[in-house]
Order: sequence, then C-alpha cells, then structure tokens
Amino acid sequence: MKKIVAFALAMLMVAGMAFASGAQEGAGSITLMQNKPEIDAMLQEYGAQWSEDTGIGITIKSVGGSSGTTLGQQLRADYAAGEMPDIFIIAGIEDYREWEGVILDLSDEEWVDDTSVAFTVDGRVYGFPVAVEGWGMAYNSDILERAGVDPADLTNLEAYREAFATIDGMKDELGLDSVVSMAASADMGWVTAHHNFNSLLANGLPYGDLSVVNDLKAGNVDQDRLSQYADWVELLFDYADPAILTTGNYDAQVGAFATQKAAFLHQGNWVDPNMESAGATFPMAFAPHGSLERDTNGIFVSAPSFYVINSESDNIEAAKQFLRDMVYTQAGQNFMVNEAGMIPAFGNIDMNPAGQLSRSVQQWAAEGNVYSWDQYQFSGEFRDQVLAPIYNRFATGQIDKQEFIDLMTQAFVDNAE
Amino acid sequence: MDKFHKNSLTFWAFLAPVLFAFLMVVVIPFFVGAFYSLTDWNATARAGNSLNFVGLKNFTDSFRDPSFIYSFLFTTIYTVLNVIVINVVAIAVALAVTSKLRFRNVYRMGFFIPYLIGGLILGYLWQFIFNNAIPSIGEHIAALRALADPNNLVLSKIPTAMMALVIVGSWQYAGYIMMIYVAAIEGVPQELYEAARIDGAGSWMQFRSITVPMIAQAFTITMFLTMVNSFKQFDVNYSLTAGGPATMFMDKSIFGTELLAMNIYNTAFVGNDLAAGQARAVVFFVVIVVFSLVQVTYNKRKEMEM
Repeated sequence: MKKIVAFALAMLMVAGMAFASGAQEGAGSITLMQNKPEIDAMLQEYGAQWSEDTGIGITIKSVGGSSGTTLGQQLRADYAAGEMPDIFIIAGIEDYREWEGVILDLSDEEWVDDTSVAFTVDGRVYGFPVAVEGWGMAYNSDILERAGVDPADLTNLEAYREAFATIDGMKDELGLDSVVSMAASADMGWVTAHHNFNSLLANGLPYGDLSVVNDLKAGNVDQDRLSQYADWVELLFDYADPAILTTGNYDAQVGAFATQKAAFLHQGNWVDPNMESAGATFPMAFAPHGSLERDTNGIFVSAPSFYVINSESDNIEAAKQFLRDMVYTQAGQNFMVNEAGMIPAFGNIDMNPAGQLSRSVQQWAAEGNVYSWDQYQFSGEFRDQVLAPIYNRFATGQIDKQEFIDLMTQAFVDNAE
Repeated sequence: MDKFHKNSLTFWAFLAPVLFAFLMVVVIPFFVGAFYSLTDWNATARAGNSLNFVGLKNFTDSFRDPSFIYSFLFTTIYTVLNVIVINVVAIAVALAVTSKLRFRNVYRMGFFIPYLIGGLILGYLWQFIFNNAIPSIGEHIAALRALADPNNLVLSKIPTAMMALVIVGSWQYAGYIMMIYVAAIEGVPQELYEAARIDGAGSWMQFRSITVPMIAQAFTITMFLTMVNSFKQFDVNYSLTAGGPATMFMDKSIFGTELLAMNIYNTAFVGNDLAAGQARAVVFFVVIVVFSLVQVTYNKRKEMEM
C-alpha cells in the first residue's frame, strides 16, 4: 500500500511540475516582449524602476539576436499556449495582419500627437514607435576627403559611379581592401532582400507613397526603374570585397568599415555600438542611396518596430500607462535616449543619442529628407526565400545583370498570381 | 501481495515517469502533428480554432515545390557521403587507438571531444576557419596563394560547401562512432589473431577476415546512427552555410545547401506555413523509417552471412 501512495505522490509531482509553469500571474502586472537583446539590461532596469514608482509589476522578455528563436516564433508559441504578453512588438504591416485580431486601437493616446511615425492602418493608430532608425550609404569622411569626393554630391547613380571609380583607383594610397563593404551571403539576405530592396520600392518617392509597391504587387514591373536599380546593385557588388560579399557575415561586413578597410558601408545606424566597441572614432555619416539616375537626396528613415497592446489582456490600462510614461517622464526619456542609445520618435523629447550615425539619421530626419521603408509590404517569405537567392546568385556571379532583371521581374509576376 | 504483483508494481512505478514523458512529448505530438498536416493550420490559428481540413493539399504542394525536391536530393547525397566518410574515419581511428600506440587513451579522448560541442557552435567555428583562417594561410604562404583567392572560398560554391558540411559533420560525429567500433574491436578474442599470425596472415588479411566479421553487429548500429543523424542534420547546416550559396532548380532561384530539416524549418517558421512544414515533417519521418528499416534488414542479413 505504501508503494501505491508513494507512486501516486510521484505522479502528482510530475503533474504539478507540468502545470506549474502555466499558472496565471496576478492582476496589476504586465508582461512585455521585445526583440532587442542588446537593450535588455537597460530595459529591465528601467522596468524595475517604473514598477517601483507605479506599483504595477512588469515582466520583460527579450527574444532574438543570436539565440535562433525570433520574436514571431515565440509569440506564436505563447499565443497557442494562452500566454500572450500584454505588450509585444510588430515590425510592420505583415506582422499586423498576422495579429490583427488581438491588437488594440491606440488612436486616443496622448503620444499620438507627438510622433509622425506611429503605426497606422486606415487612419487608426495601432503601434507605438520604439525608436527611429535609418540607413543609407555610411561613409568614412576622412577617406572621402583624401580621395577628393564630396559626400554632398552623392545623390545619384552617376555620382556614385565616378566616386567609386576614383576611390577604387586610389585603394593602395588609402589603405583600402575595397570601396564598399557589402554582404549578400545566405544569412545576410536582410541586407540585400530587405534593405537594399527598399531602394527599388521607395527611393525618390514622397514619404509613404506606395505607388511602386502596388504596381509590383500587381505584377506590373516598371522596367526602367528596375534596370536603374539593377545598375545600382551591380555597382555595389562590383566594388565590394568578394570574400565579404559572398560568404561574409555581419561582423565581417561591419568590421571592414570599422577598421577603415572600406570607404562605404551598406548598413544603418544600428552599427553605432559596433563602431564604439571596435574603437572606430573617425568621422562618419550617411549619404543617400544612388539607385536612380535622377537625384534622390534623402535616406531611408522609419520606426523599425512598434509596441502594440494585446486587446485580450486583463491589464490594458497598465500597459497604456507604461507606454505613456516612456514618452512623458524624465526616466522614460532617459532610458530611450541615453541608456538604450535610440533615436527618439517623439517630438517632445530633445535629447540626442551619442552615436555618430544615429546623429546623422536624426539630422536627415530633421531636414525632412527621408524616404519610407516599404519592404515590409512584401511578406518575409517572399523576401527571404524568393528574392534573397536571386541577389545571392547575382553576387556570386552565377547570373548577369540582365538575368537578374528577368528573374526579379518573374518573381514579381509569380508573386502577383 | 504475492511476489509477482509486487515486482510488476515496482516495474510500472519506475517506468511511469518515462512513459509519461514519452507520451507527452513524442507520441501525442506525433499524432497531433500528423493531424495538422491535413489542415490549413497557420501561425496564428489557435489549436482547435479556425482550422479547416484541406486533405492532402499540403503534401501535393510540397512535392511541387522546387526547394523541397531539391533539398530532398541534396540531403540524400549528403547522407551517402556523410555515412561513408564518418564510418571510414571512425574505423580508421578506432583501429589506431586500439593498437599499441603510445598515448592511445589521450587520442581516444581527443577524438571524442568534438561530439561534446554543440552543432551551432561548431558551425560558427568552422565558418571562421573556412572564411578567415584558410584564406589567411594563403596570404602568408606563397605556395598556397590560391587559398586566398575569393573565388576559391570553400563556402562560396555548392560542391565545396557540401564538402564543408561533410567535413564538419564527420569531425563532430566520427569520435562517437569510433567509441562503438572501439568497444566492438576490443571484444574480438586475441586468440583468433594469434592463430592467424601463425598461419602467416598479414594485417590487411587479419582485418578483412577476422575484425570485420567479428564486429558486424557494430556496423548495423553505426550505419543506422550515422544515416539517421545525417538525414536529420540541422544545426551545423543552419550555422555553417545557412543554406547558401543559391542556385537554380526547376526554373526557380533557391538556396543550394538547404538540407531537409532546414527546409522544413524555413517552411514552417520563415514562411509561416506551419501545416505545410508539418506535412513535410511527416514525409521526412516516413522516409527515415523506410531507409532505416531497409538498412537494418540488409545489415542483419549480412551479419548472418559473416
């Protein structure tokens, strides 16, 4: 008999362990899930402070980075398990469509009037912009000056052709391995098929203009625009270090620029912390992309991700307060700008981040010379599984420019069906 | 309570936790998964909610997808190469460390250690070797200049990238397989070798006529383990090549070194099509079962013949 009791107890313990993790957290506590592991420590600290000030508990979960699981995967798992966080992150319209059913309308929030980059659908506001980010062609001012290239002229394809040729001819004097640090390997598809791809979609168009996107989605490909874009891609690939281009990873790509082995870098202001840790103190800033023959004097700036509130949450008011406090309290502003080093998306905040490239983005944005991010209008699958291999084949020399144009055209036509 | 019942109660009490775990994480998910493969389950559909039955559509679509067919062929070639390389290497080092070599125990440990390192880390480690270390050898040694040429980068072409996968896979797994061979070789009675030597048999003859037949059972196990392991390879693939470089197959640009497991992962989690990923996983399962049954039956028969 004793054994049966012991056995029953053992089973109970097993069952207890299995269900313990599913326990509900008490009311008055919110959970936030975000996808920037690099700011996790600062956010945890700010969250703890906020919790102390307001008496509302907060749990912060950070997913992503090198751990392999993305935020989307974690959200799907948590949603299926009925443990959806109260505040989570969406990156754009595709994510919005996925979670449409549980995203709360935030149009009546106070911060809506203080930002121009909130996430909106049909005039309603759904997402709180986490920060502003931007990319263009990052350049090393010292090297450009020594080569006699004025970055202010770099506004079209022809100007880049001349500048690249000039710098390429002076590589030995300037101590360069290549003119531009560009990556197109399989795991760098986000540089080509996301960021570079956006030049085709948004360069030179008014902010938020989706005319090119809509044409491409309908399968109507403007061959003139695409072929100018293909010239731009070819130019970048031709003047890149082939080793970094075909097999390099993020560290290799950013490292070449940080160690002054390349004059240009095809990345955004998120490389500031990498520059700092590499001890790169030379003056640097962003120039526009030269994907068109005509002048396009602006870089790509937007909020890359947005906090949204789970409409099925029991703590909606607490979640709203957390977002509000980030914009309107000294501690919240300090966290965003000084601790996390982000460019604030709200006009009422007048602090500046420390990174040079972040300040360059802020300056382009202040002048209003910005183009939108439209790559999220296409699904992640289309960009990663359909476009990325095409860029990779172009980069590795398997196809020439005309084949690149044909394959891209075919991909848009197939996608429209 | 009589002795028999007492024993069987103890038996079940010890078995229950394992059985419970096995049911919860293997048996039930397997059948639930097989069910989902017949539906249009996507990323945000909650279990049992907004699911539609679509029959075999996920399966027929998969067999029309060039990337799936390609990864199937690629995985098969990779498996064949990997099984051969791992077993040849493993048996060679097993013979070495069971001979009268000095420091053989140190070698045994050394060969086994890679198996204890996670596949993801191994992948990144070897990526550094192929992308940075090897070209840098070429830069410093004039005779090996070709290694520094970006056109010769190991991971930049499909055949060499496949070779890289095999090298890393073998480096990781050969030590483990070696241990199985070592155990088998040490179980062969020494008298047989003595008798053979007296009869004038050389080392090759001894290996061919004594060692191989005597360790036939080990072959069945190692073949099975290496084959299943190669088929399921994911982490090294993910970190070492990430599927690159791209290629063209059936008029579509696709990733050229994407093994089946990674193709399933990409379908489910990058493409957000969980049901299709699940269907591919079911196909994957059936193929592994069929291949292993054929292999084990074949090896068993061979064992008898020897």
